[in-house]
Amino acid sequence: MLHSEFSRIPDHSSDTVALVQSLLDQVQSRLPCGSQHTIKAAVLIQRWYRQYVARTEMRRRCTWHIFQSIEYSGEQAQIKLYNFLGYLMDNFTPSSNERKLISHIFRENDVCRDAEWERYFCYKNIEVPEIYSGPHLTFPLTVEQAMGLVEAFRNKKQLHSRYILQLLLETWKLLRKLPNINRISTCQSKEITICGDLHGQLEDLLLIFYKNGMPSLEKPYVFNGDFVDRGHDSIEILIILFAFLLLYPSNVYLNRGNHEDHIVNLRYGFTKEVLTKYKMHGKRILKLLQKIFSWLPLATVIDQRVLVIHGGISDSTDLGIIARVDRHKVSRTWSDEEWSNSKFLQRRASMTYPKPFGTRSNFQNRSLQDFSDRIREKVEDEVELCRRRTLHLEEQNQNDENEQCVSIQSVNSDNAKEEWKQILDLLWSDPMVQDGCIPNEVRGGGCYWGPDVTEYFLNRHNLQLLIRSHECKQEGYEFCHNRKVLTLFSASNYYDVGSNRGAYVKLGPDLVPYMVQYQATSMTRELTVRQRFRSALKVLREQLFAHKSDLLSTFRVYDTENTGLINLSDWAEAVESVMHLGLPWRMLRSQLVTCKSSEGMISYYEWFNELTIKKPQTDHIDEGLIETLYRHRSTIETIFRIVDTDNSGFITIEDFRQTWKLLSIYLKMEITDEAISDLAVTIDSNNDGCIDIDEFMEAFRLTDKKSRLERGRSMFMGTATDLTKLEGDPNI
Amino acid sequence: MAPKKDPKAPAKKAEPAPAPAPAPEPAPAPAAAPAVDLSAVKVEFSADQIEDYREAFGLFDRVGDNKVAYNQLADIMRALGQNPTNKDVTKLLGNPSADDMANKRVEFEAFLPMLQTIINSPNKAGFEDYVEGLRVFDKEGNGTVMGAELRIVLSTLGEKMTEAEIDALMAGQEDENGCVNYEAFVKHIMSV
Repeated sequence: MLHSEFSRIPDHSSDTVALVQSLLDQVQSRLPCGSQHTIKAAVLIQRWYRQYVARTEMRRRCTWHIFQSIEYSGEQAQIKLYNFLGYLMDNFTPSSNERKLISHIFRENDVCRDAEWERYFCYKNIEVPEIYSGPHLTFPLTVEQAMGLVEAFRNKKQLHSRYILQLLLETWKLLRKLPNINRISTCQSKEITICGDLHGQLEDLLLIFYKNGMPSLEKPYVFNGDFVDRGHDSIEILIILFAFLLLYPSNVYLNRGNHEDHIVNLRYGFTKEVLTKYKMHGKRILKLLQKIFSWLPLATVIDQRVLVIHGGISDSTDLGIIARVDRHKVSRTWSDEEWSNSKFLQRRASMTYPKPFGTRSNFQNRSLQDFSDRIREKVEDEVELCRRRTLHLEEQNQNDENEQCVSIQSVNSDNAKEEWKQILDLLWSDPMVQDGCIPNEVRGGGCYWGPDVTEYFLNRHNLQLLIRSHECKQEGYEFCHNRKVLTLFSASNYYDVGSNRGAYVKLGPDLVPYMVQYQATSMTRELTVRQRFRSALKVLREQLFAHKSDLLSTFRVYDTENTGLINLSDWAEAVESVMHLGLPWRMLRSQLVTCKSSEGMISYYEWFNELTIKKPQTDHIDEGLIETLYRHRSTIETIFRIVDTDNSGFITIEDFRQTWKLLSIYLKMEITDEAISDLAVTIDSNNDGCIDIDEFMEAFRLTDKKSRLERGRSMFMGTATDLTKLEGDPNI
Repeated sequence: MAPKKDPKAPAKKAEPAPAPAPAPEPAPAPAAAPAVDLSAVKVEFSADQIEDYREAFGLFDRVGDNKVAYNQLADIMRALGQNPTNKDVTKLLGNPSADDMANKRVEFEAFLPMLQTIINSPNKAGFEDYVEGLRVFDKEGNGTVMGAELRIVLSTLGEKMTEAEIDALMAGQEDENGCVNYEAFVKHIMSV
């Protein structure tokens, strides 16, 4: 039968396919009804399923995008804070109270002389009680003790502060002897294992050790930074890494990451973790870690061919300069010496430039480069002024000294700036697809670098591969720039359960990277993508609420006739121009705007009502102020903790007043002295002249108690929605 | 069943067409004839809709050339709420080879008439259709189907699913006897 059908096909190639299809359909239709229906049913379900998968994937991507852009804007806020503090140092007039506060902050947060530190860190008078059931350490460490530590932490034990201090002191001694750039070789059959960001996720480190074996003479490891912050067990990870470092100093290599930085730790949870786990000696431990972080090497080179660094490179990265810097001195805060030298500069600066503060928009748009340039400007002018002065007046020792200080200072400043930039680039940069090199505005530090920069850099330094971390990747790793750059991320489920795998890399003498992936918890059911999507949206709504005033004024610009309505396109454009998150707002709109809109218009006042978060009971505080506080809650808390130099959790009323004034300048809030006093009195309810930072944040609902306790797991700077809370939520 | 589209002389390839009604262009006849004449499709989206689609399209562009690969098109359409079969989409593309599916890319303007075609096609299915579809397997007429049978059918008939896909679909749906209550099943999965 079929043959005869086919013989009737005209020989016209363009119609063949269609006709054959038609015939097949006819054949099919002659099958008994059951089979026909079966196939139809199967196709229906398959079609439905594929649509479900595609939509789930879209949601997953949006969720990722939301979490990541909020994470990066947090980092940006961090760098802005640095810039602000640096700017303050350069510009305050000598008589102001604020300057006293700043000097107090920077001196105290500073690294002092070694002899003083030896006394401060002495662990010998710390007794270990008999009931202590954790591991005991004796030095020099043995392999059994290191294994014992891993086992103890797996069993949720905590190491006693005496042993931690001892361990850290030994680590500090060792690190001081290491160069800025580790150089290692694979010689013969040794494979080197390289791990990326761990972020306090002990499960992942344990998983890596389980799959790959622990560090040993036969098993060298490189850990590429970001050991701490965000996860629960940052201190445990550090203890393990340092223990193995001490055991096998020629086989374990640590690179510094951008989170190995005490000011970043104030924001992202490590400081809190240590103070919570070690109530008595936490402050000392943190101070010692501050020094240790500054002494961590900056890079590792394998077989002179493969460079391992945490962030990346820029078009000016020079390994020669990196090798030469005094890495423990390079920072945004200045030492005592530089501070007293700079007093002179400060005085001059305020007289020559009577306008001390930029507007808030200036702060927010500046990159670190801008501030550096301003510093240089001032310094050159000062040197010039100095020279002129000495020509005129009789020479006094004082003047000479000052001039010398200034000229040394100006040279130091230039070098210091260059060194600071080199290190910032190394620890904060991200690769991009396009050629070139541009400042990394998203993170606020380092740059974006392109394949041409990679090519040039590798050739210049005779290298063949760049391994870096710093960015979370869904598969745990990703190649780019013609496979010359490998991003490696070892913290699985980083944004939340199921979000991504972790990976580590093995490199043998052939220097061909071999990737191993893993995921710390078992795969969750696909439907929980929906739950994660909902939680991401919740966070996004909070962010939108925190920008209500700006959004409102932007909407009004589009709504020229004051109808209270805005069309969909304008809405998307306006929101992006305020939020700068680069999110697909049109796709998210149906989820974010649930109030009914007529004919493609959104009633934005109604929308804001939808977004409003429960307000605190402090009625006498202005709503605009509340919103500003909410938006900058992380920065506010960070600044408080910086002011709290002895890490006690309390600041004095006087410091609070001064800090508040600073904040009001930075955040461009209009706030009178009276209002500040009111605030201070409200918060210091027991009238002892001290303010509990945590209570302050809670009073304004800037954090809620539960998420404070869970801070170790927070991704959103201390105010994360608690994802486990959502599991049982019937609304999801 | 006869095919719905008239097999005409081969129309344009993936060239940009103006957003509203593109004029039919005579092009030289290629070796493989596409079954669908995209140039004759009138794109009827509003400006707002076009911007929405453009955003979604951009999200799938992993390369940065404002195009997406052939093998991503079906997923984009599904993400936008449509429900084409893989066959529907390959037909729109002129039945390209596996190589083409992986390597060739299409621009947004060329994508719009394809999307319009899918939207226009009357193959819409609702809750009832899915329940009806599953009822086919309800041998005893008691509201349940055998999970095992469903698995076999889905992996051997129609646009076959892989074992992993089927596992994910069926996760937690079978009771202790290996049966699935299909109405509940459909309600549950459609609530996504």
